[in-house]
Amino acid sequence: MPFRLLRFAGASRYPEGRMFRAHETLRPAYDVVVIGAGGHGLAAAYYLARDHGIKNIAVLEKGYIGGGNTGRNTTIIRSNYLTPEGVAFYDESVRLWKDLAADFDLNLFYSTRGHFTLAHTDSAVRTMRWRAEVNKHLGVDSELVGPEDVEKACPQIDLSCGGHAPILGALYHAPGAIARHDAVAWGYGRGADRRGVEIHQKTEVLGIDVRDGRVTGVRTSRGNISTPKVLCAVAGSTPRITNMVDIRTPIYIHPLQAMVTEPMKPWLDPILVSGSLHIYVSQSARGELVMGASLDPYELHSTRSTLDFVEGLAAHMLDMFPFLSHAKINRQWAGMADMTPDFAPIMGKTPLEGFYLDSGWGTWGFKATPVSGKTMAYTVANDRDHPLIEGFRLSRFAEYELTGEKGAASVGH
Amino acid sequence: MRCPINGLRPVSEFQYAGEIRPMPDPDTCSDAQWADYVFNRNGAPGTKKEWWLHIASGIWFVAERDTAADKVLNTYLYGEVPQS
Amino acid sequence: MSNRLPPVAGEWIDRAVRIDFQFEAEPLHGLAGDTITSALSASAVKAIGRSFKYHRLRGVLSLANHDVNALLQDGPELNVRGDVAPLRNGMRLASVNTFGGVRYDRARILDKFAKLLPVGFYYKAFHTPRALFPFWERVFRRLTGLGALDFSTPHIRTPKRYDFCEVLVIGAGPSGLSAALAAADAGAEVVIVDENARIGGSLGYQRGGLEASAGALRELADRILLHPNISVRTGTFAAGYYADHWVPLVDIKRMTKMRARAVIVASGVFEQPAVFHNNDLPGVMLASAAQRLIYRYAVKPIQSAVVLTANEDGYVAALDLLANGVKVEAVVDLRNATDSSDAATRLEQAGVRIHRGKGIYEARAKGDGVGAAVICPLRADGVLDDEQQQTILCDGILMSVGYAPAAALLYQAGAAMRFDETVQQFLPQTLPEGVLAAGRVNGVYALDDRILDGRRAGNEAATMLGYMAPAALPVARAAISPSHPYPVFDHPAAKNFVDFDEDLQLKDFFNAAQEGFDNIELLKRYTTVGMGPSQGKHSNMNAIRILAKILGRAPGEVGSTTSRPFFHPVAMSHLAGRGFHPLRLSPLHSRHEKDGAVFMQAGVWLRPEYYRQRGKLKQEIVREETMAVRKSVGIIDVGTLGKMEISGPDAAAFLERLYTGRFANLKVSMTRYALMLDESGVIIDDGVVARLGEERFYFTTTTTGSANVYREMTRLNTMWGMKVGIVNATGAYAAMNLAGPRSRDVLAGLTNLELADDAFPYLAVREAEVAGVPARLMRVGFVGELGYEIHVPADGACAVWDALTQAGRVNGIRPFGVEAQRLLRLEKGHIIIGQDTDGLTTPFDASSEWAVKMDKPYFIGQRSLKIIQRKTPRTKLVGFMLDAMGENEAPKECHLVISDGNIAGRVTSIAFSPSLERHVGLAFVAPELAAEGGRFFIRADGGRMVQAAVAKIPFYDPAGQRQKEAKDSQAA
Repeated sequence: MPFRLLRFAGASRYPEGRMFRAHETLRPAYDVVVIGAGGHGLAAAYYLARDHGIKNIAVLEKGYIGGGNTGRNTTIIRSNYLTPEGVAFYDESVRLWKDLAADFDLNLFYSTRGHFTLAHTDSAVRTMRWRAEVNKHLGVDSELVGPEDVEKACPQIDLSCGGHAPILGALYHAPGAIARHDAVAWGYGRGADRRGVEIHQKTEVLGIDVRDGRVTGVRTSRGNISTPKVLCAVAGSTPRITNMVDIRTPIYIHPLQAMVTEPMKPWLDPILVSGSLHIYVSQSARGELVMGASLDPYELHSTRSTLDFVEGLAAHMLDMFPFLSHAKINRQWAGMADMTPDFAPIMGKTPLEGFYLDSGWGTWGFKATPVSGKTMAYTVANDRDHPLIEGFRLSRFAEYELTGEKGAASVGH
Repeated sequence: MRCPINGLRPVSEFQYAGEIRPMPDPDTCSDAQWADYVFNRNGAPGTKKEWWLHIASGIWFVAERDTAADKVLNTYLYGEVPQS
Repeated sequence: MSNRLPPVAGEWIDRAVRIDFQFEAEPLHGLAGDTITSALSASAVKAIGRSFKYHRLRGVLSLANHDVNALLQDGPELNVRGDVAPLRNGMRLASVNTFGGVRYDRARILDKFAKLLPVGFYYKAFHTPRALFPFWERVFRRLTGLGALDFSTPHIRTPKRYDFCEVLVIGAGPSGLSAALAAADAGAEVVIVDENARIGGSLGYQRGGLEASAGALRELADRILLHPNISVRTGTFAAGYYADHWVPLVDIKRMTKMRARAVIVASGVFEQPAVFHNNDLPGVMLASAAQRLIYRYAVKPIQSAVVLTANEDGYVAALDLLANGVKVEAVVDLRNATDSSDAATRLEQAGVRIHRGKGIYEARAKGDGVGAAVICPLRADGVLDDEQQQTILCDGILMSVGYAPAAALLYQAGAAMRFDETVQQFLPQTLPEGVLAAGRVNGVYALDDRILDGRRAGNEAATMLGYMAPAALPVARAAISPSHPYPVFDHPAAKNFVDFDEDLQLKDFFNAAQEGFDNIELLKRYTTVGMGPSQGKHSNMNAIRILAKILGRAPGEVGSTTSRPFFHPVAMSHLAGRGFHPLRLSPLHSRHEKDGAVFMQAGVWLRPEYYRQRGKLKQEIVREETMAVRKSVGIIDVGTLGKMEISGPDAAAFLERLYTGRFANLKVSMTRYALMLDESGVIIDDGVVARLGEERFYFTTTTTGSANVYREMTRLNTMWGMKVGIVNATGAYAAMNLAGPRSRDVLAGLTNLELADDAFPYLAVREAEVAGVPARLMRVGFVGELGYEIHVPADGACAVWDALTQAGRVNGIRPFGVEAQRLLRLEKGHIIIGQDTDGLTTPFDASSEWAVKMDKPYFIGQRSLKIIQRKTPRTKLVGFMLDAMGENEAPKECHLVISDGNIAGRVTSIAFSPSLERHVGLAFVAPELAAEGGRFFIRADGGRMVQAAVAKIPFYDPAGQRQKEAKDSQAA
């Protein structure tokens, strides 16, 4: 019984206060400035305040909280990656996710559904086995299953996918989950705000001051701040910020689109991904089917939608679920994905003292929200890369030490 | 998009192949310069010269495109002087 | 009981055709031309659904698909929009999301608990205790879904259409029709679309009780329908605007993708509800809904009405009611000043009581719907003075308090919209090239002005297209706003709805702002306003007004949320179309089918995996095919390989740059293995290069890589400008590999070519006829036996295949498939790109250094290899053998190599070799495990550790004698 709702019964005045304060002005100085009030930036601020005792923090957001990719993704959480460093990282994230609603005292609709990455070719089956073995080695619950297991979890699926791409097997990842993306940003935001962090919306960073090889301040549309530490957590806008400090990265930006049906009664329990058909789909708690596909095939700094995208995705969805013919697409949208050559993020210290990057999140960022916050908080507080993110350092490209994650990003790029 | 040879065609007939980036001289450049060429990109929005292919006719050409507004400003064959 | 009126001029129904249907198991009937909702209204069904959250009874609100009060299940079709769905014989309809039907919906009890379920309530509870969340989630899922899927629905393949026009006019109301005529008269080719069954828009139903507008409409309609340059598409809506005037037009049958050269958005406005207590009772509706019911469907919407208004249109609607037998108890005008319009004057003359400066405080229920309206004076601060209440009995309330522009497509096209205080509406401030707005969406309200504005837009479009010289026509936007700035009224008992789809009340917005969600985007996401099936058509504007009031700012400062496709939801079958699944078949496909091939997909190609044999399992068959090649002769179709021709003075130099090996010194009539890298030094493709002449090469690529390799080659040469011609001949040639010790014997009888080892040595290429077909023959070593890879023009393939299989019969020739080929090449230790290599594999990792000539001046990937060369090797591909064991015990591909409890590599290929009677394979291992004779462990299924021994490759015929010489051949 949700007894907590009873406090709404008696109250003549709505008993809730602001989740995050509005601030009239910026202070002249902060210990840390986080650029980007999405899930990652707010999480970092939260853990800095909660675990490292650093509270004099400003999180600067040019739009509104969670308005970037945090509010646009298809909300899939999983740790069934290909490389040991990836698996360890995302597994820690899943561990943190499970406790998040309790930490925030906010329902995130964190729902463990089970996640199937479908294999339609021999080579895909091999890759799924590879992922399953690496996962198991690190204690993550994944296994290679056959088409009959897919059908058991999703009886309505057409295993032959219209006769064109029969399902030969799948990587089944029991911890696969979905959550309400906005609520994660609000939860971290409120938690950070309660601990003294200042969240400044509608505040755009215009420049970053550097002297003698270290960060000294940030110039914004609402005034200038002096600070020794800047954490850049702006996803699709990363190159704009790194240009301000003359740091070159491999990041390139492509739009990533998604679409949603009208709500319908529940029928799809697991999360399904198909690399061959380029689709991923889950059913939200509201009953909508939330679907995504591959990246748009060219660079673009815009969240515009295309008709090609909905057409292609609808066609592939009907291959797998022919009975969706009458289901209607309500809305489509897009985010801007900051892609890297090895499909792994770029995190940690940079050649510029006091400038830290949480970036390169491509199509794999939402699931990493808690662990990226935690590790970046550690990194910023200690001025030392957290062990879990060492494999994601910016210098790995010059060192020709790319991660091997390309086989685990769900959908083709 | 306008293929320099075939004229205005739907965007679905074209394939993007990245910004045209000059290759440093592999014999004289440093390892860092070479890795920068191989991996780093000019990721920020702006008007860029890009490789595009008109798939139907196999013609590779250059498009100058504003990557924030998604507006193609000019297309011309590689090596040609662009007409404004 | 029937609410059907006597015939109405211009009605859309056909009284001669009766349609029988069921609603909630009750048999009813309507007429052809009815929509579901109009038929229900005609049958005096007041309550047509239950609301989403509180399960309150709902009736007609917009009758325009701007709300989903009427959302129904029609057999397998879910979420049917009653307002606009045509009535069909035999329909069995039920409202969605009820638990026991509309009348006895068990979930209606939730309305009683509304106080416990404020905005965002689901974030505040249900997550603790953690163990109960799955239970609550199941409850939520059951309660929030709307329609239900019927899993037996077939895959409907609705073909799509393409279309082109010069001017696309969206909306066939007076301004749209006028715009179309202006552009068409100037010579442009015009298509006009309207989502309704007939053209005319508001001109058809805002009549003020007179016939005049019906007459005016008929005139316009005639001109439109007869105009040679105009094509009219009714029942069609523009689903969105995409780049370069790409507009999907959706009708009940299909989607048509329209490319226009100019788009005129004359889509009108959404009438907006007033917010007051119980404004969602059945019987409370938008004024235009009542007018549509009367003039389109000849339905008397209610018996006695109170009309709430803040504009002239409310008076017009009141007159329409009067003219059609509805008693108008009162008109309640929110404004103090007397409305001086003709309609208001006539209404007063008709003796209808007009209350000025008053508003509706609450609607009182009676039975299923409205029983009375309680009105109060409106204070200067916009609050109703509830101390002075007056009750007026009625069974319906019409709301005519304002409009919001149907500007979705303008927003999507990139128009900059600005809130105009005079018109009290967001209006287009700057429009992108080729996009125009006309009529009420452009803030023009008087009928004559709308017609003029349409003409202006039509002229502008025609001018833009070069059909006429610029002709300036002034735009006369409304000088007096038809929209009340704040038709929103608080009430102690709440239940004053802003968003009817999402059951959002006024206090929800105040509460959300109190919690800090006080900008329009956060407000939307927290309250979910505008996120329901209507996407905010009837709610977004009021939400903006409310937030503006909370913040003490102007609506223009508050802004609006992003407009996204689709304007109305579009069925997946319309979007998917017929589907396109390209499949490439080898020219020899029919032969494989005849031979019982089991096919597998290789990219878009179908290839035989193996050939079925009755009574035998796949494993056994593959073994047999393999042994046939080793012992006698087999033939495989390798025609899916990419085949390229390059010729010209720079051909050799081009290949030198493209591949890691040396080709400048390749002798004419010889072949060489070729390895291709990307710029970071990673292996991306391989093949065999054959030199046919000084300046002529023929080479192969992998099956899945051929298109990419060809594209990259042409791009590179665009840059390099070398003197070469490059041809992708993949589809032009078929290819087959005749392999085995008897292969020479089989071939000898079909060609004049000298086949002796000295005449046609290993790795050579020859051009000659085989079975009368011109062919290129190469002696290659992939499967490790004497063999000939024979390339012929595609149309000669069957003749050659047939001749070879006929000639080979005496030697027991077997066709063999991909599985056998994989095994044969594995016995020789040959790598397969993409299986034994991955996205990081360099030639050093793959033990392919022998194919790399680092001393060449330049090849793609060379510079990176120089860097990588100096690093500590991270992995090595080695051959390995297992001790004898059964198939079930042996590890599989991608099982991991484990050393000291850590991952030290993985198996990339493994198979049981019938020739060696042991499992052999390739694996990536840590360099320290790669020494020949060394042992390492592989973790197989179930965590079992299997020991493997590093073995030199090739495993079979290490000296490669069998492919080089023909020891057992019977020919000389």
